[in-house]
Amino acid sequence: MFSFANKMAFRAVAFSLFFAVVTFASVDAEMEGMEVDQRDDGTFLVGSPTFYFDRILGAGGMHSESELWSPAKLRQRLLFNRMSLLPSWDVHEPSIWMKTGNELGDMIYQDFITSDNRPSNRTPILEGGFRTPGFKGFWVTGRAFQDDHFSTANMKARKKWVSDEFAIFGENYPLFSTLYAGGGYSNGTVNVSALAGEEYLWLFSESSRWIPVHYKPRVEARADIENLGVTVVYEDAEYQNKSKKEAGERKEWNGSLRYRCGAVCRKGVLQLSAGLAFRMVDDDGTVYTELDDDRVLLPFMELRVEPAKRLFAEAMFAINDRDWLVQDSVEFRPATPKNSGVMLGVKNISGTRLNPLADNLEFFDGDTISLTAKGQMNLVQGYTAFADTVGNVGLGGRGSFWAEHGAETFAVKEFVEDENMVYRHGDVTRINSWIRGVTGELWISTWYGNMFAFTALGGFERVDGNDDRFEVTPVEFFTSFTADWLLHKSFRLSHSLRYRSDARWNLRSADPLVVKGDWYWDATFEQQFPKYGLFLTGTLLHVLGDEVIETPNGAENRLRFVCQVKKTF
Amino acid sequence: MDKLFRIVSFICIMAVAALAQASPELAKALPDSTVSLEDVSFSHIYVFIEGGKKHPVGDLADAVDNSFYMGLGFRYTYWENFDGIILFQYSYFEPHFDVPRINGVHEVSGKLGLDYRWNMIAPIVFGAGFLCNWTRADYDGDKKAFDFNNDYGATLTDNETEFGWFARLNLPVFTYGNYRAGMNVSWEQLWTLPERSNMLVVGLYVERRIW
Repeated sequence: MFSFANKMAFRAVAFSLFFAVVTFASVDAEMEGMEVDQRDDGTFLVGSPTFYFDRILGAGGMHSESELWSPAKLRQRLLFNRMSLLPSWDVHEPSIWMKTGNELGDMIYQDFITSDNRPSNRTPILEGGFRTPGFKGFWVTGRAFQDDHFSTANMKARKKWVSDEFAIFGENYPLFSTLYAGGGYSNGTVNVSALAGEEYLWLFSESSRWIPVHYKPRVEARADIENLGVTVVYEDAEYQNKSKKEAGERKEWNGSLRYRCGAVCRKGVLQLSAGLAFRMVDDDGTVYTELDDDRVLLPFMELRVEPAKRLFAEAMFAINDRDWLVQDSVEFRPATPKNSGVMLGVKNISGTRLNPLADNLEFFDGDTISLTAKGQMNLVQGYTAFADTVGNVGLGGRGSFWAEHGAETFAVKEFVEDENMVYRHGDVTRINSWIRGVTGELWISTWYGNMFAFTALGGFERVDGNDDRFEVTPVEFFTSFTADWLLHKSFRLSHSLRYRSDARWNLRSADPLVVKGDWYWDATFEQQFPKYGLFLTGTLLHVLGDEVIETPNGAENRLRFVCQVKKTF
Repeated sequence: MDKLFRIVSFICIMAVAALAQASPELAKALPDSTVSLEDVSFSHIYVFIEGGKKHPVGDLADAVDNSFYMGLGFRYTYWENFDGIILFQYSYFEPHFDVPRINGVHEVSGKLGLDYRWNMIAPIVFGAGFLCNWTRADYDGDKKAFDFNNDYGATLTDNETEFGWFARLNLPVFTYGNYRAGMNVSWEQLWTLPERSNMLVVGLYVERRIW
């Protein structure tokens, strides 16, 4: 639940870090993990709840941000080769909530007078859940949620591959449908939980095929004891393609162990965290992907050092017998007057693979697609940011130059078309030359107490190089206007109006898929009753924009309305 | 041009709002009350029953006939001059032309909004909000008997929901103790395709204060 106070606190922190741009609009996402649909500082293309391309400003020639693994994503879901918040098994705070919504444009009574060009069916969103308050620290929770939006464009093809409706509710063949329940124990230093449930999920693969997976069951246990975090997941996943009479099963154990630098550690000069992520699979029948040796172990370490005043260095190393990945940065923050700041930094990402936890092979129509490439990628970036505030007005900006060698891409051997879908054969490979980019962003904001805040921002990115076989050519320009009101401390209005220029998918079809630039307006209206912990929320998404397909084999990003009732305990 | 006009208008409105709200003098004029709002919210709650007629407007009159509706609603204090309203209404629409196998359509409408006690039009109260309508045809047969691409009413053989907005005028006519009776007139629009669906709703209500 959005809290204006939290947002202002976040803004204060952001000021202190001189990254003052609030890149996420405060408009509510239709579901956890779909926040990218309201982002305005890069190339965010949504084809379904379970597949989107999210490339932040200055992300190099690499694929999407969610394909880059980091320890911060340890408790996210691995959807093929991407890390995703959705479908989230994060337990909510004690509350009870219901959510529903619809892609706007069902005919209803217009059905009686519409004979030609009848619009296709629009689909809903459904969610209900609860978590009890703690009783001597013990609580129980349950949640059912599915997002039927983005399901219609490819439904006709997908429904032939599965033997039933492939969802917990309804017949819209949603891209995911989840039901879970469980319990836990929480006190100040210990948080333990165990959840079990059933889930239907469609994964989008490197060949551009949708792969249906039915988890029956999925079980997730988490324990956080002081600075130690443990996650263990068991998945019994059923794979099928009814039209080809194929069936398979994957039993998987995955999870992680992580020691975080605690309060005492953070006072030291050298701050150290470390952990291990793992996956172990046992495949039977036709499963469509393969993990080398049926297992992957990925130990990692995070370091933070402050070698001199105002100089900060951070590094993350992850390495195993197959792959390695390093992400590091050095930042200098010179002394500046109060309420302003400047930062200079350099960062580097190097590795043999963006996501070392993902599967290694995909099997598609007799072809074996390698999901790994020989060699390594290196991204270097120099960046600067500044922020200044005068009274109720803030001004800031950031800019960067980046260069990348060995960016992951896909070498296409052949495209195949079938039932309005286009697939590709080939292998993941690299762009073995330097590509370069320059980025810039400026913003101005104003606010009045905690009643009102407004931000306008604009930015650009220019990419150049000898070889531009990117999966997606990113947008060159974007702008956004965001306003939040909190009237009478109990009515919230959040708006964002955004524009982005064209983006282009280059490697998923013979003719590139151009996603035309467009304007979008999103808005959230919320009645709040803080004394009673009650929140009544309505959100309009993707107003003004043309309803276009933003990813290959994806579905239209339509105008939709979502409402929620939530009571916190 | 239409989209450009809407975008430019929107930017202008947001810019003016930003300037207005950044000005302390203007901000003071905004209703940021000194009364503890937490004490106003839910300080009174009312329940009411209502009934009346729904009139399809424009092309929609060719789709369905006028219909009676009945409903149950709640009104609660929100701010000093604003009340929250929650409405649940049921109606049964018959197609304007004969539609094979479909006698009518059940509609359940849920509405959430705010009533504003605007001095200029007192005692009339102005309200607005969002609505969600669930509909399903009065048909028990196999929906596969319908061709969704061609048969009129085919989509209504399944559950259909659509959202929209409404605006209303509420005229209290009679107040006695904890009871009140009056009239509502509202305009509601569903965000349907290929055209939006508009209805004019006129009804009477009887309300009782719970606390």
